[in-house]
Amino acid sequence: MYNPSMANPSFHDIILRRNNVSVRGNGRRTMVFAHGFGCDQHMWELVARDFERDFTVVLFDYVGAGKSDLQSYDVQRYSALDGYAMDVLEIGHALNLEGAIFIGHSVSAMIGGLASVQAPDMFSDLVMVGPSPRYIDDIGYKGGFTEDQISELLDFLADNHLGWAAAMAPAIMANADRPELAEELENSFCATDPAIARKFAEVTFLSDNRGDLASIPARTLVLQCREDIIAPIEVGEFVAREIPESHYQLLQATGHCPNLSAPHEVSEAIRSFVG
Amino acid sequence: MKYQKRSVALLDKFAENFDDFYQTAPCAFLSLTPDSEVFQANQTLGAWLGRAPGEMVGMRFHDLLSFGGRIAYETHLSPLLRMQGHVHEIALDFLAADGSKVPMFGNASEKRSTEGNHISTRFALFKAVDRRAYERGLLKARVEAKAALEKEHETSLLREQFIAVLGHDLRNPLASITAGLRLLAKNVESNDRNDKIIAEMRGSIRRGLSLIDDVLDFARGRLGGGIGIARQNASPEPALRQVIAEVRSFAREHKIIERLEIDRPVNCDPDRLAQLAANLLSNAVSHGATAKPVIIEASTTGEQFRLSVANSGEPIPEKLRDHLFSPFFRAAGRSSQNGLGLGLYIASEVAKAHGGTLEVVSDEIETRFTFTMPTALDTSELR
Repeated sequence: MYNPSMANPSFHDIILRRNNVSVRGNGRRTMVFAHGFGCDQHMWELVARDFERDFTVVLFDYVGAGKSDLQSYDVQRYSALDGYAMDVLEIGHALNLEGAIFIGHSVSAMIGGLASVQAPDMFSDLVMVGPSPRYIDDIGYKGGFTEDQISELLDFLADNHLGWAAAMAPAIMANADRPELAEELENSFCATDPAIARKFAEVTFLSDNRGDLASIPARTLVLQCREDIIAPIEVGEFVAREIPESHYQLLQATGHCPNLSAPHEVSEAIRSFVG
Repeated sequence: MKYQKRSVALLDKFAENFDDFYQTAPCAFLSLTPDSEVFQANQTLGAWLGRAPGEMVGMRFHDLLSFGGRIAYETHLSPLLRMQGHVHEIALDFLAADGSKVPMFGNASEKRSTEGNHISTRFALFKAVDRRAYERGLLKARVEAKAALEKEHETSLLREQFIAVLGHDLRNPLASITAGLRLLAKNVESNDRNDKIIAEMRGSIRRGLSLIDDVLDFARGRLGGGIGIARQNASPEPALRQVIAEVRSFAREHKIIERLEIDRPVNCDPDRLAQLAANLLSNAVSHGATAKPVIIEASTTGEQFRLSVANSGEPIPEKLRDHLFSPFFRAAGRSSQNGLGLGLYIASEVAKAHGGTLEVVSDEIETRFTFTMPTALDTSELR
């Protein structure tokens, strides 16, 4: 499907390096896995590997996260989710994607939705894991957060640079029970520039993309967790109601990161959706 | 043997009760189910949070955390724990029973079965009220320092742009004055008084123009352009002779002696060398005693071009010599004569741009600035 000589080589190289894109497997269809606020592409490791045999699997880091090129970070561009959607579109162009499947966790679910509105042919299917189009409560809408709570969160992130810096540089540790993760332990999964992380948090938690849901053209699967304080059940149901061609599934998994806590349940749900 | 006896004796007397140690350790212990429900917590944590340890069992971990801590746990810590099995030196804000925030830091790890299944998550935590306040102070200071620096940088950039524009615009009125003076000089009767006035006016224009050149070069250098030179293989002699004639025309009270022995071309920018010479000569006539001549010498010897300007008079005080070539350096008390203090700075920048050096020797006999540079461009580095 993807042939490097078809693409403009320099654009292709620049984008793939900028977003630390990795392309694995060689299936006919391509699955793009996108991480949310917090960590990087490693969030998808356990799920992505289930699809490598049958799909071409694409993993990447948004500019500012993981091993992306921090020099490319532009406050202007990334001051709205559209800037992150642009990352997705540029990766899609660089890889000549058509009719691909976009799988976005957390805020990436909405980023994927925005990208699919821009380029309906690039992504025909969308999987949203723990999506929220707006985190703050509004009249007739329960996002789960009050404005005060969001500003407390932003303050907390700002306050904790020093503490975080330590948390973000984990030591290498033998991991005998999960040897497949041993190599990854050399990375710092959540290492982000604190200033960029704070800005990403601001953009994420202050976003309101409810109005965009109705124009998402892709066939969409909404995967909802139980007891997810970031994306409560009502929000997942709202998203599924608003997107024209959507399927809703409530997982057994709890918390906000089923891709890590229940990877097989997530894989199964994706597989039965894409067929 | 002896040690063993000693430790047995200590054990008999002080043996730890591990349950008591767990409960009252000087740090908090907390254990969670894989679904983040508290199933065990020690008394220390209870005391810090104003809760009985038993009361916390069955609570959601989220309910013990501040809002920021909850999101941080969900988006950062919990994924890290899943991926690498542990997190170290993390900061978390807890919530006491009375709703107040209790900052803590600590470590957490996942207990896993031999098959890799997640059994529980354990925390060891320390209260960090003072430390967090200190960190906040540091952070605030850093943010403020950064903002101040950015503001200062913006201001200085604006100032330098202003200087560049002002310098450029000052050239036009000076050009008109020059043209007008040329016309007047032709039509005015030549006598001592008139000739002196015209020479002084020429000198002032010359000084004004060279100040503008210096300011523009300085601003360009500061704005990132650097001092540009256009090298050619040529003798700098004609340009030097012109500079000498100009300075002579306004510094009529000084005797200027030139000794030019340039017998081969020099790979240089002749206009820039003239600028360097003009700056050194202007300096010499404004600081040198009039009793003795100012001497300008230029020669090519071997592989080197050498230019020196010497004047007599008071030597330059030792402690000032290190700063002579810094921008805006002026000898104390003589600011009106010294202009902006850019002359020697520009001269040394011109010297640098030519791969040369500018040095000064100053004693009771004379003050001499010497510029040396290779006559040919050294291409060995390019090869």
